[in-house]
Amino acid sequence: MIEVEALRKIFRGGRGLDGFSLRLESNELVGLVGPNGAGKTTLIKILSTLLPPKSGVARVAGHDVRTDPRGVRAAVGYLPDVAGVYQDMRIREFLEFFADAFRLKEPNRRAAIERALIRSGLADRPEDFVEHLSLGWKQRLLLAKTLLHDPKLLLLDEPATGLDPLARITLREQLKQLHAEGVAVLISSHILSDLEDICTRIVFIADGKNVSEASSGAAEGSAAASIRCELEFDGPAGTVDSILKDAPDVRIQERRDCLLVIELNGGPKEASAFLHKLLAAGIVITHFDARGLNLEDRYRRAFGGQTR
Amino acid sequence: MTRFVTNPMILKELRQRLRESRAWLLPTLYLLVLAGTVSFAYYAAVDPAIGGGQREVQGADIGEVIFLTVVITQLVVLLLMAPVFSAGSLTIEKEQRTFAGLITSLLTAPQIWWGKFVAALLYLLLLLFSALPLLTLALAFGGVDPAQLFKVVGSTVLVLASICTLGLWCSSMFRRSVHSTAACYGFVLVLSIVTAVVFGFLVAHWESHNAMARAEGPPAYVQAPMFLNPFYPLLAMLGGGAFSQFTYPVSSWLLFTSLGCLAAAFAMRRIQRSGEQL
Repeated sequence: MIEVEALRKIFRGGRGLDGFSLRLESNELVGLVGPNGAGKTTLIKILSTLLPPKSGVARVAGHDVRTDPRGVRAAVGYLPDVAGVYQDMRIREFLEFFADAFRLKEPNRRAAIERALIRSGLADRPEDFVEHLSLGWKQRLLLAKTLLHDPKLLLLDEPATGLDPLARITLREQLKQLHAEGVAVLISSHILSDLEDICTRIVFIADGKNVSEASSGAAEGSAAASIRCELEFDGPAGTVDSILKDAPDVRIQERRDCLLVIELNGGPKEASAFLHKLLAAGIVITHFDARGLNLEDRYRRAFGGQTR
Repeated sequence: MTRFVTNPMILKELRQRLRESRAWLLPTLYLLVLAGTVSFAYYAAVDPAIGGGQREVQGADIGEVIFLTVVITQLVVLLLMAPVFSAGSLTIEKEQRTFAGLITSLLTAPQIWWGKFVAALLYLLLLLFSALPLLTLALAFGGVDPAQLFKVVGSTVLVLASICTLGLWCSSMFRRSVHSTAACYGFVLVLSIVTAVVFGFLVAHWESHNAMARAEGPPAYVQAPMFLNPFYPLLAMLGGGAFSQFTYPVSSWLLFTSLGCLAAAFAMRRIQRSGEQL
């Protein structure tokens, strides 16, 4: 669905994309994660034909963004990070306008509008003015508008920004539903727990370059090459420090009095061995919890955040 | 071609414009200003004290005065309004963050431009045509024939259309309505005032070297700066006396048409590349 190869886009300020590559298949829901200024929005803007790339290849559903932007637009539903609505239009008028803008013909047009009204949960108030909707409802309307022309790919740039928890949950459910219906999704977000819940794959990006990739969700635990251990101890801190010093595979994530959060290379076996080492040194362990790395841990690992 | 007529942008724009409170407020104010001007022109024409008190006032004289006053006044008012309607029409989409939705739809840049242009121009035409009863009042007095009325209205429409294209070009260049509107007013000022000042200098220079040819009026190259003055075609068609030297309304129309086409082309090109501004 998306083929991006060595994509470059440099702005005057210096930020942009610098040789980024990505492949996204039609059955994927991929999360794009990275710090501010990493190039997430630039990538999504290029894929939605808002920005031309400087060099490299960017194809969406087989259409090149440079040579066939109309083909790309017909295949893509794009929701920008801060999307506006026409406040002085009625909900139905708003959907009718975009149905016409995407050249939908009757009877598909009417059916698409009705479907969008149902999808957004606004079927009982189509004559209300858009300005009377809350932010969450506006976001639902925008997503429904984005889906009017049945796009094969959804490009979502920070779609959960500003939404309350309930609206975020609804959005997550909608995206899961769309994915189940066969719509490919590329979503950029800073809300890692949401991405972890819905994405089939996470792509890390920094300074416009690929950083790493990770599978997400249930598959993530077994595939993890590291384990995160949280422990509380009672005993001399100096002994703990010297053990940590002698363990090159251990990275400290958090240290507070007798609480220690570490990331350990390997799996449960290595965690157990580390625990034995502490006990053998006479340290009393009052709490020990070892589990696979979650997305936040992976984010920390990719972009820093370790204390050592 | 059908797509230009059934352009969804036109319906959207007109719907939005007519829902604004200024949709009824502006025509009301506009007609009040014109009615006041006509009343003043009428009393000025019939008052022997103002007219010099020497001659008997004819109906045709009143008709001519009313016609010229209304035509000039309405052009002044519409020139002041045209930037408001055109120069903000694309920037408002950028400010409301709705522009990305437009340019990532299947609407083309010319369709977006055309929708905005038609909506801006139609509103100005609504004002222009709402003043037609006042203009036809002049016909009742005499001194003005219907052909003049048609020419004047046609010329005003052409000038307003050109100003709208300039406004849309400014709107495509800037992110904020306040900046694009200021730039458009700058253009209107240059076209209305600066051209007249340059013409004044050129005429003074020409007259100082051609004292004998004064009666014939300045040649085309001296009048050239005025061809881009929005008032020139009107004065060339109607103006007697001091304005009888203005004799090239067609050149002015052609220049305004060219200016409009150029601004439209630039604006459409800019709309196509406006992703960088979002």
